[in-house]
Amino acid sequence: MKIKECMKRNVYSIGPGNSIREAAQVFAEKHIGSLPVIDFQGKLVGMLELREMIELVLPGFLNLIDDIDFVHSFGAIEKRLPSPEMLSRPVSSIMRPATSVDAESGLLRAASLLHKLQLHDLPVVDENNVLVGIASRVDIGTAIVAEWNTPQGGEA
Amino acid sequence: MIAGSVAFLIFALSLGLVFSEKINRFIAAAAGAGAMLVAGRVFGFYSEAQAVAAIDIQTIGLLLGMMILVALLEPTGFFQYIAVLAGRFSKGRPVRLLILFGAITTLVSMFLDNVTTVVLIAPVTILICEILGISPAPFLLSEALLSNIGGAGTLVGDPPNVLIASASGFSFNDFLTHSLPIILVVWFTTLGLLRYLFRAELKILPNNIEAVLSLNPAEALDDKVTARRVLTVLGGAVLLFFLQKPLSISPSFIATLAAAATLTWVRPDVHKTFQKIEWSVLGFFVALFVLVGGIEAAGVLEALAHWVAQLGNSNPLLLGVGMLWLVAGLSAIVDNIPITIAIIPVIQELGAAGLNVHPLWWALAFGAGLGGNGTIIGSTANVIVTSFSERTQTPITAALWNKRGLPVMLVSLLVVTILYLIAYPFYIG
Repeated sequence: MKIKECMKRNVYSIGPGNSIREAAQVFAEKHIGSLPVIDFQGKLVGMLELREMIELVLPGFLNLIDDIDFVHSFGAIEKRLPSPEMLSRPVSSIMRPATSVDAESGLLRAASLLHKLQLHDLPVVDENNVLVGIASRVDIGTAIVAEWNTPQGGEA
Repeated sequence: MIAGSVAFLIFALSLGLVFSEKINRFIAAAAGAGAMLVAGRVFGFYSEAQAVAAIDIQTIGLLLGMMILVALLEPTGFFQYIAVLAGRFSKGRPVRLLILFGAITTLVSMFLDNVTTVVLIAPVTILICEILGISPAPFLLSEALLSNIGGAGTLVGDPPNVLIASASGFSFNDFLTHSLPIILVVWFTTLGLLRYLFRAELKILPNNIEAVLSLNPAEALDDKVTARRVLTVLGGAVLLFFLQKPLSISPSFIATLAAAATLTWVRPDVHKTFQKIEWSVLGFFVALFVLVGGIEAAGVLEALAHWVAQLGNSNPLLLGVGMLWLVAGLSAIVDNIPITIAIIPVIQELGAAGLNVHPLWWALAFGAGLGGNGTIIGSTANVIVTSFSERTQTPITAALWNKRGLPVMLVSLLVVTILYLIAYPFYIG
């Protein structure tokens, strides 16, 4: 099976010059985990995951204290918002370089990339690096395990 | 003469390299030590045996012993436990938090290295401040200042004191009688000054006090058994420090014995424990000893001491106060360890020339201990809290340090100068 058979073709995306505030609105309204960043020609220039967004408000002590079980309430941090200045910065300032595959990529190869890079979604591009689809960990993973119960797969 | 010039050149170049921070300070000092050994051989002023003798094994032993104890105590979560307890006890009131965290920092840094102290206390400080919704910057800055002050109070508190004790023969109790009383006065003055300097930040009444009260100290302490064992041995070691003179044992003897006892009792994964030892610091000391041994053997320090002795004979008080401010000024800009290692043989030469050098040792200790507070790069503790603060929303800036840290350094030096002058007859004895 190829990734083009399990990917979503209707992809929400954002431009590198859009603000973080605008990105937040898309994430919340569409209830998605990542946003491919594309230029005016539709070419993939980066990826923005919820992880990068959340890191803007995570507490500073997180990397300094190994075990935070004893902190039962986060107090003021729970209500923390990014500064207006931070929210008006462009998406390009926090996006990460995109890892993508072409539509003919195998599923296990795609799953390996997600696994290695700790990503949740994999953008799919054509030969001109134009975004054509996106496949999530769930899309790829379920497509892989679905084959285990067909007559050809496994002992069944 | 050639030997002296070559030795001095190598010394100055390698120290310049250390202070420039262009390359790692240990590598810079090791390169210098190597060059000094070669020059000593070529010009015949410094033998291998002299270089080995120049390495102060007392200092290395004490530092290594204490590092092993910290390496075993740190993973138990004991310091987290104490800090969380203090956080709860403060009831979220900023002034109380400042006093409690300040007192803990000072107390811990009197027995452990200053850097270790802030590495242990600063993360929990950030945690409590962020939960309360107040800026951690005033607290972190105060902790660095107070750890440097606390470290100056005891023999084991700070590497310069370890070096001075080893060179002068001062005991743990000598530091308690000659240094600690002055440091106590400086501590209270500093805390009052910090309370004033940060009055605006400390006025804010946080409204997330329940969150701090919900912290559970017992859960912060991960390994109760090991913590109890290390603390028992540490307590025994402190007891031995008090009895150092009557038992005629060295601080290094006590620290290495305590390390051996704790290792035997806890039986940790030694590989992991040794990963926490700061070998680069120990190596830096060894390289500096070899370097300074070289210029001493070449007769450079003798010439310098001769010149200082003339000044000292005419006005010993001025020499003491001058030493205090000179060392403090240098320590504010550069690392106080190489400064201390370089000045120690000068004082020893002065002693050999017949000068009463006791007051000079104390001036060196106070200057090296308190000078580092003046600038954001003045001590490693300052650098650490600054880098930690960069993870928060209100990082400590050089400008903030100049407005808050520098006044603390100047006022504390002024206090020390006055007390030093009053206690001068006592220091001579």
